[in-house]
Amino acid sequence: MSCKACGLRTLIRDDATENMICDSCGTVQDFTNYQERTFNINGPTGVFISIGSSGCGSALNYREKKIYEANNLIDDIVFKVGLTGGSKVSEIRDMISKVTDGQFGSSESRWFGIFVGACVYVVMRNGDKSLSIEEVSSVVGCDIHELGRMVVRVVEHLGMKLPGFDIVGSFERVVRSLSISDRVEGDVLERMRKQGIFLVQCAVKWFLTTGRRPLPVVVAVLVLVAELNGVEGVKIEEVAREVHVAVSTCRLRYKELLEVIAKVAQEILPWGKDVNVKNAVKNAPFVIRYLEMKCISKSGGEQKGLESTEFDLGEVVGEYFSKNVVEDSLECEDLRYFELEDAMGFDKTGIDEVDKLQLSHECLSMVYDKFLMDGGCGRYMEESGKVLGRKRERELEIQATEWWNGKSELSKKLLLKQLLEKDIGFSVMPPSFVNGCTTIKKRRAKIKAAKLRIDRIMNPWNTDSGSGKVCTVEGAHDRKRKKKSLVKDIDWEDFVIETLLLHQVKEEEIEKGYYNTLMDLHVFNSGTM
Amino acid sequence: MAEQGGLEGSQPVDLSKHPSGIVPTLQNIVSTVNLDCKLELKQIALQARNAEYNPKRFAAVIMRIREPKTTALIFASGKMVCTGAKSEQQSKLAARKYARIIQKLGFAAKFKDFKIQNIVGSCDVKFPIRLEGLAYSHGAFSSYEPELFPGLIYRMKQPKIVLLIFVSGKIVITGAKVRDETYTAFENIYPVLTEFRKVQQ
Repeated sequence: MSCKACGLRTLIRDDATENMICDSCGTVQDFTNYQERTFNINGPTGVFISIGSSGCGSALNYREKKIYEANNLIDDIVFKVGLTGGSKVSEIRDMISKVTDGQFGSSESRWFGIFVGACVYVVMRNGDKSLSIEEVSSVVGCDIHELGRMVVRVVEHLGMKLPGFDIVGSFERVVRSLSISDRVEGDVLERMRKQGIFLVQCAVKWFLTTGRRPLPVVVAVLVLVAELNGVEGVKIEEVAREVHVAVSTCRLRYKELLEVIAKVAQEILPWGKDVNVKNAVKNAPFVIRYLEMKCISKSGGEQKGLESTEFDLGEVVGEYFSKNVVEDSLECEDLRYFELEDAMGFDKTGIDEVDKLQLSHECLSMVYDKFLMDGGCGRYMEESGKVLGRKRERELEIQATEWWNGKSELSKKLLLKQLLEKDIGFSVMPPSFVNGCTTIKKRRAKIKAAKLRIDRIMNPWNTDSGSGKVCTVEGAHDRKRKKKSLVKDIDWEDFVIETLLLHQVKEEEIEKGYYNTLMDLHVFNSGTM
Repeated sequence: MAEQGGLEGSQPVDLSKHPSGIVPTLQNIVSTVNLDCKLELKQIALQARNAEYNPKRFAAVIMRIREPKTTALIFASGKMVCTGAKSEQQSKLAARKYARIIQKLGFAAKFKDFKIQNIVGSCDVKFPIRLEGLAYSHGAFSSYEPELFPGLIYRMKQPKIVLLIFVSGKIVITGAKVRDETYTAFENIYPVLTEFRKVQQ
């Protein structure tokens, strides 16, 4: 062996670095300084690999080992989703075996875990067990869409048709499995369950669940029901964590639920004007009561109209007012509040018509306190007396047993068809639809403003028509503001709309808001050849 | 510049073709063409300014042009996919422009087998739709999994088109090879949707 630089055979090993160097010129040679160490002081080192003897047995039992481990994984996942033994487990195992032609899969591979999760989900869904996909995905440790794709593949492979997701069942399952269920008494829990089912089905009717993930709605309803029943410590964050859904979505659904309740309250309650999202929880009992009565009356076939259902609030309050029992405890100026006109327009004896009904919460609270002390129909129990000092709870508090009847059909699980046919007396539009309408309205206003601007520029002498004055969307009222807002309130959208209008694009097209498409088609008119 | 009269000028919808009175807007056209020559993608990526090429991520050059605003995927085999156009003509024009760019880079690109592969349209029926009811009664065609996707996926058999139907009344129609399939699919589904509309108060 000779040196790569000088070619002499004077190579020696440097003791310090263990590199091969040339003794005459000092060049470090390219040789690897690898030294084979098969043995050390303790005997042979390293891992010896030989074919045909993997694991404890031979390569021949690879398949059995794989299936054994796959079964272990199945058991593990099935146990974690709360299924032990029984027909369901064997059904899951059969399904896995059928889909994989009895090959199962390597328990170490990721897809097999997801596949097992998908089979668990499909079996449970088929059996109306309402296991949520979020729960399965958290057990398997994958994304819900990954799991969802696998579910679709399994369903298609087996040529099955999954029944629709049962949100009511899902609610029941959450109530059962939640950690609070140990702390709450049995009958309270049962009442919560029924009210929850009632509200969930109302939410379905109110489009709060359509096109939305079901679990956040379930969480929102559960939190509201817990609050109404005075169950402490049911926080959105905790419940959301327990059922593995995003907290912010649950908060959003909770807000939407309260908004609808506030809306119903505004329609039906005599003091509706004072109800907003903030105090909707306090008014929720009345709303639920109303809806429940409405359901019962409809299902009982008494189509007497609103009187029969309004009775509960309207008559009770009305009777109370007509009894003139208020004078001793109330200030005189508050008396005008009791000249009540019901929001729904039925007038009882002793109630004068007043256009503006403005009841403050304090006033209401006092009225009801008095009413409760009177024993008003024996329905409501007084609680607020004790807590009068505290601002938060100065309003009326009534116990759930009193406002909840639980006899309506809606507190039982209904079939989707029955539910959709049922009238709960109040319906709202889906939030996404409402947003869409608002956007279109805004766009329409912008289009109008843009047309006026164009018109003004095209016919500068024709200003006496007055139309040119409203140039912006807001249509600024005072002249001073108008000039400023003219400049400020025109944004990119206005310019796009103006451009499109000038290119003779139809207004209906612009309203849809597909600006990019319209610009491409009409303004950058490159498509015409 | 348009005449003033043009501001109001809008042609009415042809009701014989669109009985619903709603014409879906085409949002995206996907077309393919064969340039019929082997391409050196690295060379294209280096020479063309509007191209990106990351062989680790995707084995095609991604090229964009402004007019018509489109994106093309150019493969080493000479096949090209053009997306993002808003009409069939635009898509063809864009594909021609890409082919020209490739030619200018020194390849003997031809323009063979141009074909529209997919047309995506969308529209708004302006009423909310009870998706649960639709999924229930048209179970054979529809899949509604709110846990996974907010819309209802309706696989129409004739014409073979997929529709995404949302509760807000917005509809996406995809899978058509020609524009009329999109329109027919919408006209077919419209009466079904009105059946499940939520009556406005």
